[in-house]
This record gives sequence, structure tokens and C-alpha cells, in this order.
Amino acid sequence: MKKSKIYFILSALMITALLLTGCGGGGDEKKQAEGEKAATGGDTIKIGFLGAKTGGHAAYGVETLKGIKMAVEDINTAGGLLGKKIEIVEEDHGSKVSEGTTVTQKLITRDKVVAIIGDPTTGITKAAAPIAQQNKVVLLSAGAVGPGVVEIGDYIYRDVLLNSVGAPAVTKYLNEKLGWKKVVVVTSMNNDFSVGLTDLFKEALIENKMEIVGEQSIQDGDQNFAAQVTAIKDKNADGIIFTGYYTEGALFMKEVRKQGLKSVLVGGDGLMSDVFLKMGAEAVEGSMFFCGFAVDETKSSDKTKKFIEAYKAGNNGVQPDYFSVQGYDAVMLIADAIKAANSDDPEKFRVELAKTKNWEGVSGTITFDESREPIKSPVYLLEVKEGKLAVKDTIEVK
Amino acid sequence: MLSQQILNGITLGATYALIALGYTMVYGIIQLINFAHGEIYMVGAFVGVFMITVFQQGLVVSLAAAMLACVIMGVTIERFAYRPLRRSTRLAPLISAIGLSIFLQTLMTKIKGPQPIPFPHVMEDALYKLGPIEISKVQIIILVVASLLMAGLHFIVKYVKIGKAMRAASEDYDTSALMGINVNRVISFTFAIGSSLAAAGGVLVGLYFNSVSPFMGVTAGLKAFCAAVLGGIGSIPGAMLGGLFIGVAETLGIAGGFDTYKDAIAFTLLIIVLLFRPTGLLGRPIQKKV
Repeated sequence: MKKSKIYFILSALMITALLLTGCGGGGDEKKQAEGEKAATGGDTIKIGFLGAKTGGHAAYGVETLKGIKMAVEDINTAGGLLGKKIEIVEEDHGSKVSEGTTVTQKLITRDKVVAIIGDPTTGITKAAAPIAQQNKVVLLSAGAVGPGVVEIGDYIYRDVLLNSVGAPAVTKYLNEKLGWKKVVVVTSMNNDFSVGLTDLFKEALIENKMEIVGEQSIQDGDQNFAAQVTAIKDKNADGIIFTGYYTEGALFMKEVRKQGLKSVLVGGDGLMSDVFLKMGAEAVEGSMFFCGFAVDETKSSDKTKKFIEAYKAGNNGVQPDYFSVQGYDAVMLIADAIKAANSDDPEKFRVELAKTKNWEGVSGTITFDESREPIKSPVYLLEVKEGKLAVKDTIEVK
Repeated sequence: MLSQQILNGITLGATYALIALGYTMVYGIIQLINFAHGEIYMVGAFVGVFMITVFQQGLVVSLAAAMLACVIMGVTIERFAYRPLRRSTRLAPLISAIGLSIFLQTLMTKIKGPQPIPFPHVMEDALYKLGPIEISKVQIIILVVASLLMAGLHFIVKYVKIGKAMRAASEDYDTSALMGINVNRVISFTFAIGSSLAAAGGVLVGLYFNSVSPFMGVTAGLKAFCAAVLGGIGSIPGAMLGGLFIGVAETLGIAGGFDTYKDAIAFTLLIIVLLFRPTGLLGRPIQKKV
């Protein structure tokens, strides 16, 4: 009897503690939100950064922020926007979805930003987007590639290379430039990214009248691919389309070489990682994948070259990746829309943003189609060459 | 094609068998499912990687070093995590084993990070044609090493004194103690042998799959446990047979397009076999003495 009483008190205490932490800070935020929705005045235009500086996705957030800061500096030194300076409000959600929504709320209600750039991941973007949409603030993600993002509402945008643009472009390239006719498709069944990309590749393969001579499935986390590779061995394919991530990609190719198969692998930017190169070593030599941006000294435009130089100067000679580039482009896209609308009211400049067509950015040309999805050109096709990534070609999209 | 897949399956099964032997031997003597056994296998693989990368040793030395390191680890674990609990309820050492398993995984994650790391390049692989099938050098090494180790184990258990003591202890723990067998030594020895086999399995799997990770022991351990039960827990030939059986079944399952159910295959097989033969394929029925 006594014992159960103690348990009761303990659990009651724990529940209260949970409730308290759950609601923490909620009260005064509401107060702030009340009674204000006045037009954004002042002498700065505030843009919020939503991303991680710590935690699992810190690398994406930090890189995106670098690009954003460079863009803001470029705009402010050139005289600002509509006579005002741009100010970046930085927050860190520590790679946590729950924190991501809190940060979004804070950026909108307390800092009164007109636009938010972020999050670099699809998951947190999808959690934050409804809040931005509700409060009529533009949210432009510089990294979310998954499905179901811009569908959330007409204030939601992104400036990434979509798989639905990349996969058809690469398939066409494989067919026309490399003469591939027969391929094997390998999908990681417990990876949404892979399953989605496989569907897109298959559609494109049919369109290009290429033949799928074999299909194999794997799982993220698998280490043994002997059975799958044996099954595709006698298919005589021109290459392997692999839609999964880097670890499995590298191990798969190791097995392919071990069984004496010469084919190379083609995939999406899920393969973009040092791990792919290190783990795959000579087995991934010649493997290709597409992504939205890469440093290409020969073909890049003057604008891109200038960005690369500036980035390298500020980062000890390290080359920029696509997160920083997309972060830079995100700010510029919003700035150009504000300029065109001659207003920093999100309700007005989002209309201009939707009209963006053949817009020249650092990462390429961006057009928003009728459903506000970005169509980016060119698609960068990277190839592993002597253990390093090299740009094999840039594929123009219509 | 089918024969090629069966060869793949046997290679995989041989590594399962090496791990399964540790489960079955320990169970045979102290009726404990050593859930930390999969982690010993994982540590063995890491020691192998360490020897190759840091000390620039070849495969044979690295394999021996990994086995030795795990012998020490296995005996230490038994001494400090299981022996103090030997006379307590059967659940206590089991919980201790699970705790140890989590501890070792976390420790290795702390040291090496959660990402799988590539197994270092230690030799050139080659492919040999054998009629309709192709066999790689790595596969030959795995099959040869596993067979040698299993033959060695068989020899020890059958013909060496300590092996006889092991069999006696597994027959009747208390009586063999009364007959003057140092049971503590026998148990330490069992852990030593089981751990060394698991370490060998770890290095071979690392070599075969080209990667090692702090969590590699989880599924491998579970599958090997299945193999041990399938073959009849407590039975040494049963563990070997069970390992091969599960390896082949899993590979054929993947080849047949059931990759998504790959891990379920071992457990489904286990359930089916246990329904018809509750003692496993080669297990002896336990006679209750009244």
C-alpha cells in the first residue's frame, strides 16, 4: 500500500515535469504573436536561417549558412535592397525536428522575418513549412529534395536539383552519349529516397527505350551483396543503376568487382560522400552520379567562378559544396523577387518569386514551373576518377 | 547460377557456424545464452582491422591476434560478468549478457564512430573458375579457415583431456565437479574457444564484406543464435549444420527476390524446425530424471 503511494506520487511528479518542459516558453510567445501583424517596417529586411549548427545535419546547415552570409554581404556592400540592409537571423535547431518548428515560430513571431531559408533537410522543411504558410512568410529550402514540400502551400519554395529533373536527364545522357542500352536497376527497399529515385529512373528508361535486364533489391545496412551480384552477373548489362546511399553503393561495387564484373554504377546524389570514395576505393572507379552543383573549373560561368574564388578565399582554399551554393542562390532569389515586387511584404514578393524564369544563379539556371517546383539546369554528372570526384559532364535541361 | 548461389550461401553459412559454435558450447555447459557473443565477434573484426592498419601485419598474424585478443576478452567477461552470478537465478546472467552487449557496442561506437569503416586492403583478390562456378580467393580462405578451425575444435573436444572434461561438464555439471574436474577452468576454456572462433568469424566477414561496424554483431549474433538453436543447442555438429543451413537458405532467398524478408528467413526456418523437432536438427531430447 505504502509502496504504491510512492509510485503514484513519483509518476505524478514525472508527468508534471513533462508537461512543464513541454509548454516551456509557449506562454510569452503567444503574447508576442498577439496584436501584431503590422507591416514589416524598420530599416532592415530580416531573413531567417533555419538549419542545424550542431547535431547530425550540422554539416548541411553550416555550409548553407556560409553561402547565405556571402550573399548578404554581396547585397549589402552593393547598397542593400530597396535602400535597406539585409539582416540574417541565425538559429540552431540542433538537427531536431521539434526544435525546428520552435525556431520557425520564433523567427516569425519574435524576429518578424519576411522570409526563411532552410531547412537543408526534407524532414524538417516539411515540419516547418506549414507554420510559414500559416503566417504568410516565404520559406525557401536550399536542400530539401524529397517529395511533398512545395505542395504544402504557395509560400513554400526550394532551389535544389530534383531527382525528377536529374534522373531523366542522366538516363538520356547514358543512352545518347554513352550508348547504354541494357541496364540493371538496384534499389534499397527500406530507403524512401532510393525507392522514389528508382521509379523515376524506370520511367526515364522506358521513355528512352532502354531495357531493364535485371532488378535487385537490397536494404540499407546490408553488408553482404553476393547473392544480388551473382544474380545480375550473366545479364550482360551496360551498367548498373543504383539508387541507394553511399555505404551500400561502395560495398555493392566491391562485390561486383570481386565477382569479376566490369560494369560501372550510376546513381543519384545519395552517393555523394567521402565514404563512397574511401570505402569503394578502386571498385568505384568510373562510377557516376548526378548532383545539383560541383566545382568545374572549365565550364562554370563567370558568376560561379567568382563565387568559388570568394568561397575559397574565406575557407582556407576548401571548395564549396552544393549546400553553400544553394544557400547563396536562395538569398539572391528572394532579393531579386523583393526588387521586382518593390516591396518586402511576403504576400507581394512571393508572386514575383513564383514567376522566376531562367534565373541565372551560381548553381545554374533556375525556373519555377507552374507547381512552383524548381527546374534546374545544368545537371552535373560526376565521375570517380583516380579516387577523386571529377565533373564528367554538365547536362543541359531544356 | 544455382550452384554459384549455393557457394555464396555456404561461405556466409561458414561464418555463421563459427559464431554459432560459441553460443552452443557455452549453453551446453552452463545453460547460458551468451548474448554478448555477437559483440565479441565485432571486437574481433576491429582487432583484425587494427592489426592490419596500425601494425601493418598480414592476414594470418592479424587473424591470430584477433583470436588471442578475444580469448582474453571472453575469459575476462566470463570471470567478471557471469561467474559471480552463476548460482543466482537463470535470468541474472542473461541480463548481465545483454548489458554487456550494449556496453561493448557503445564503447566501440565511442572509439571508432557509428559509421561502418572499410576493411583494409590486405591482399589481392582473384577469381578461379571451377566448372560452372567461380570461386574467389577470399571465399576459399573463409572456407579453408573455417573448416580448419572446426576440425580443430572437433579434435579438441573428442581427443584432448580438456575436451573430455568439457563433455563431462556438459553432461552433468555437478557430478563432473565431484569427480575432480576443475569446472571453473573448463568454463573459462569454453569461453576462450568460443570467443576465438567468433573473432576468426569477425575478421573473415570483414574481409569478405569489406566493412566492419560497431553494430555488425547484432544481426550476425542473432542469426548465429538461430543457427545454434536450429541445429540443436548444445550440439557442436548441430551448430555447424545450422549455420550452413541458414547461410544457404538466406542466400537463396535473396536470389529468389525475397531480399526484404532476408532476416525473416532465418527466424521462419527456426520456427518451422522447432515445430517439428523441438530439440533442433541434431539436438538430443533432454531426459527428465525423477
